[in-house]
Amino acid sequence: MGEFIKVEIDLSRCAGRKKIVEWVRVCPVNIFKMEDKLPVVVEENEDECTLCMLCVEAFPKGAITIHKLYEA
Amino acid sequence: MRLLEYESKEILSKYQIPTPAATLISKGGPLDIKGPVMLKSQIPVGGRGKSGGILEASTNDDAKTHIEYLLSTPLKGYKATQILIEEKMQVKQEFFMAVTYDTVIKAPVAIFSREGGVDIETLAVREPGKVWQEPFSVRSKLPQYRAREIISETGVTGGHLLGLAAILSKLADIFLDYDATLAEINPLALIEDGRLVALDCHLEIDDDAAFRHKELVQLGEDQSRFEASRQVTEFERKAAEIDKIDHRGVAGRMIEFDGNMGLIIGGGGASLTAFDAVRAHGGAPANYCEIGGNPSVQKVAELTKLILSKPNVQKIAVIMNVVSNTRVDLVARGIIKGILEAGKKPSETVAVFRIPGAWEKEGFKILTQYGVTYCDRTVSIDAAARIAVENAN
Repeated sequence: MGEFIKVEIDLSRCAGRKKIVEWVRVCPVNIFKMEDKLPVVVEENEDECTLCMLCVEAFPKGAITIHKLYEA
Repeated sequence: MRLLEYESKEILSKYQIPTPAATLISKGGPLDIKGPVMLKSQIPVGGRGKSGGILEASTNDDAKTHIEYLLSTPLKGYKATQILIEEKMQVKQEFFMAVTYDTVIKAPVAIFSREGGVDIETLAVREPGKVWQEPFSVRSKLPQYRAREIISETGVTGGHLLGLAAILSKLADIFLDYDATLAEINPLALIEDGRLVALDCHLEIDDDAAFRHKELVQLGEDQSRFEASRQVTEFERKAAEIDKIDHRGVAGRMIEFDGNMGLIIGGGGASLTAFDAVRAHGGAPANYCEIGGNPSVQKVAELTKLILSKPNVQKIAVIMNVVSNTRVDLVARGIIKGILEAGKKPSETVAVFRIPGAWEKEGFKILTQYGVTYCDRTVSIDAAARIAVENAN
């Protein structure tokens, strides 16, 4: 788990969708990968998140939530 | 990466640019001198002629004495392990030509002067009319007709114009094909028999494009090409490995010192300023290093851990200029992560954090959360260094 950033995926908004691979690839710092045809978070990369929000825009609305742990 | 003269000339020869007949010799190698030759130390620095790295000989005995001297005498921090023996040319006239990259107009630029063998920057200031330069496109390259236009601006006419243009055009091809940051022939000599010959060549390859030139990477890693007076330390070697973790930014150009203040400082002039300021205020740096260009959090964290792994380092000073190409928050994450992974407290380990610039508000939030005091742009690098030294004491 990241020290500064936590990324959550609501899989219920992704299941069965055809463009999942494209959404996963949108991250410039490889925070997502595919596992059993579903997107998962690569925890060791979470702290590299640049807060570009490309994933939030690419995935279905509400599927991605980015937490800044230092604001908690 | 700077190629040695003989390595650069091998590339010139591939592009049919004439060079003097030459032999490369190592210590104890057989000698067969049949006339006047130039003996040239193969070290990766300029100004060898002025500092005694190029000598002339006419006999085997002379050559043997000079070669022993050149192989045993350090020059500008390097000692040659190889000497290039070149036929001495009867020079009628010397020219200068180079291709480099203009970072302002973002294009390669070809430079030519009728006066070779000189410091071109000085000449360009003293007599600007004698140096001509023109940018060109990486797509259309530098065809010979464009090279002729550049050279003719300096007053060269006739048959030599064609010969010089052909060489300048090929030099531009070398610059582009080898991802060079500088391709320079100085001097390019017109010799008695009317031929144009490259007497010296300086090729500098862009480190970031090294992956496209595997053979040059192998050359760069060959420790037998020359001896550096100062050997790379294990600490510096580990820092270089950290910089290779990924392609993002720079975090690892390290030089080890024996002080107790760890430094993570921005590249270029700011890092030199910060280093000098720490010393001026009585601090003893444990290292010099450079970060910049937005390195990954992991690289900064690993670099921080490496510096903190030195037994005498308890504090680190993080100082950069106002940055636009490096994010304050990502550096802050890396520093704090590295300190935590080293088993230390960020609030007790960071002597000063002075990086104003891109995403500073986000960075300052992170630092505040971990109790790290920071400086904004109203605090100069010098003042930040003073604060660091005071906090370290």
